[in-house]
Amino acid sequence: MTLAHESLRCPGMHDLSPEEMERFRRVEQVFRSSCEAWGFSEIRTPVIEHLHLFTSAGTLSPQMLGRVYSFLDWDGWSGERVVLRPDATIPAARLYWERSRGQIAKYFYVENIFRFAPSEERREVWQCGAELIGESWPLGDLEVITVVRGILEQLGFAEPTLRLSHTGIIRAILSAAGYTPEQQLALYDRLIDGDLGVYGGIEARLPEAAAPLAMLRDLTDGHVDGLENLRSAFELTLPQIVQPIEELRTVAATLEAAGRPYVLDLTIVRGFEYYTGPVFHILIDGQNVAGGGRYDVLVASQEGHSVPACGFAISVEPLLALLPGSNATLAAMVDVVPANRSAQDLASALEVVTALHAEGHSAELVHAGRETAGAWELRLERRRGRSHYRL
Amino acid sequence: MIKLALPGGDLRGEAAKLLTSLGLHSGEYANGSRSYRFPLAGEEAELRVFREKDIPIQIALGNYDLGICNRVWLDELQARFPQDQVVALCGFGFGGIDVVAATSPETLRDLGPVEDWGGTEGLRIVSEYPNLAEAFALGARLPRYHIIPVWGAAGSYPPEDAELAVFADGGEVAQRLGLTAVACLATGSASLLANRECLARRDLSPVLAPLLKAAAPRDSSRLLRIPSVLQASGPRRQLSVREDGIVRLALPDGHAQKHTFAALASAGFAFEGYGEKNAVSRPETGISGLVAKVIRPQDMPQHVAYGSFDLAITGRDWLLDHRIAFPSSPVREVADLRRSRYSLCAVVDERLPYDGLAETIDYWHSHGRSVIRIASEYANLADHFARQRHIGRYQIIPVSGASEGFVPEDAEILIEGTETGTSVAANRLKVIDRIFESTNCVIARQSPLPGAAGELAASFLERLRGSVAVSA
Repeated sequence: MTLAHESLRCPGMHDLSPEEMERFRRVEQVFRSSCEAWGFSEIRTPVIEHLHLFTSAGTLSPQMLGRVYSFLDWDGWSGERVVLRPDATIPAARLYWERSRGQIAKYFYVENIFRFAPSEERREVWQCGAELIGESWPLGDLEVITVVRGILEQLGFAEPTLRLSHTGIIRAILSAAGYTPEQQLALYDRLIDGDLGVYGGIEARLPEAAAPLAMLRDLTDGHVDGLENLRSAFELTLPQIVQPIEELRTVAATLEAAGRPYVLDLTIVRGFEYYTGPVFHILIDGQNVAGGGRYDVLVASQEGHSVPACGFAISVEPLLALLPGSNATLAAMVDVVPANRSAQDLASALEVVTALHAEGHSAELVHAGRETAGAWELRLERRRGRSHYRL
Repeated sequence: MIKLALPGGDLRGEAAKLLTSLGLHSGEYANGSRSYRFPLAGEEAELRVFREKDIPIQIALGNYDLGICNRVWLDELQARFPQDQVVALCGFGFGGIDVVAATSPETLRDLGPVEDWGGTEGLRIVSEYPNLAEAFALGARLPRYHIIPVWGAAGSYPPEDAELAVFADGGEVAQRLGLTAVACLATGSASLLANRECLARRDLSPVLAPLLKAAAPRDSSRLLRIPSVLQASGPRRQLSVREDGIVRLALPDGHAQKHTFAALASAGFAFEGYGEKNAVSRPETGISGLVAKVIRPQDMPQHVAYGSFDLAITGRDWLLDHRIAFPSSPVREVADLRRSRYSLCAVVDERLPYDGLAETIDYWHSHGRSVIRIASEYANLADHFARQRHIGRYQIIPVSGASEGFVPEDAEILIEGTETGTSVAANRLKVIDRIFESTNCVIARQSPLPGAAGELAASFLERLRGSVAVSA
């Protein structure tokens, strides 16, 4: 195999260097300890899942479905495909349905997901995520927001920006505008794709709601008090909007009372069809590093009745680039040099390395004369049939 | 050298007329010669004939700069690989077809109008355009479905073996088959395709300019039409594989037909509507409990595995290709009919200095070819061959026909069947590895059919096996 001249790495796939892995483990350690402190338990789902878990309405958007890595498995003669998981929430919901139905489940995971992206953009993305299944609004929503915020603060990010919204607002508007469920889904998918032209069609159908719709589109940097304006505007024209606004108001007001900064941005819908309630993004230096929200009908699609749920995912790679440098000093390495290559001397050297490890020191075997970065060198010598150690 | 890929088959006559009218004299291509390569008179250009389906692939690979085929084949490729290197430059206004999804009256009666199928699990979609079918199923948000690719005759599968069939309809095909087209997935006509990079970096104008002059006015109906979400009305329902005590037998058309006819005749079977050369899609067996359908032999193993058919007469080559793709498939050979015998071989350019595969691969590597291209109608078998022989870095080029002209310009190795070796020699090729000997055979699922159906199947097989033993 020739390693010169061209990268043998597949497009969109990225290695993590030892330095990057040190940062990764730092993120992972803080994430894991925070989740465990809040009562979450770790899960790990398979990389390969059935495609049909992700194809029904209310799961992945068509844009995302067009980017999944799907193929026929070794037993795929039935013509059904499998995928490299494009999302971690849906497999977690599957696991809940198979193992924990009827209970409240608090899962966390560190998993990779796969979605096609052009050129050198990442096609494999690592996520630290958590799902709280069985707990309804507002406790679940407040918990996941607080957990992810706490993780970022422990990692040294003092002022992450939390942007809040509620997908139920736009869903209620689409329903009130008289669109069929299938049309609503198609329009919601366009909004996921960033097509704000959808609002033009809604206004044509609901001319009486033009003013509150304009207020909604403009609420990208809002405060809980601003929601009162929106509520009063919609109360007259579309009263079914009031409940999602109230749900969002409760979450925002609680954060306000707890002194946790946030911004209301009602244009956020999140990139998945399964969100139904409050949703959020978290940005650091303008870069989106985490997001999540409530999805109360996802588990219902697999079981037949609605199980409330919410969750979040932190994208690890952008965080690695933003992470402050580590202050930890590396432990000094002891290089153990055997006297010669006889079995007895090599065995002695191995014993020394093992003993050093047992005492909590870093140590390795090296050949005599090899240049190393170790802070100490322990030479084993044999004189008059006895072992001597020279440090 | 400008390389132009041209269609064989239905589009050939009109394409040849087009070239002649533009002053691009293709000589033997226009005369219907059986050769695959032709020079273009007066130009530094070469023409090569392909099955239309293969033309976008050849252009995407960069083997050909330009090509003429129906636009729907590009849609089929890009439905799965949207980042492709192929550009559609213009249409020529002839050869128009629709790619339709069609269903049977029986299925419409059982499931209702297709708009209400959104909550139906287990829909079987048989398709000559599997990528378009997959895009249709995803766009319609079908909860769970099966895409079963076929080489042809998709319209003969509904209602027993599929709820939907996807095929090209240039006129009244669906109607003639007794089916109702419920969606049009793509509409296209003969079009000029180009490799994006070649267009940007090379002078193709001697061939490109005259072809562009023949561009038809832009047809607004040329659209990829993936339907929107289907309604999921009523409770979710699940379709299941039928169990009715009937034995379903698949019979081949094409090259394998005469050998199958001979095998059946030898065993004393005479099916009305199934002859040495002609066949209807549903021949009458005259045996109570045994129904037959004519489909492509390439498609049989997957349909038997899935349960659409209980017995099938196909080639051992297609069975092997299927089992390589799906090692745990339940399909097995249950009777070797010992006809239609030929060898599956790896063939290369006869001028290569070595007769062994390993030395030949070293030779290619030393002459700058780092990726070995292997063309074959048996894509799975070719892939298996490459891995087993440790070929290193390779590329499998799926081919749907007209394979003899691939080596050496478009592939280093061709995996294909040869009976006498005459065709190999005639195309200036040589055999470098013999992979497998194929004959026709009967295939079935591993676990036998229960009850009376099982007895009937066993009796049918016994007669066939007995006739083979007699003639051996």
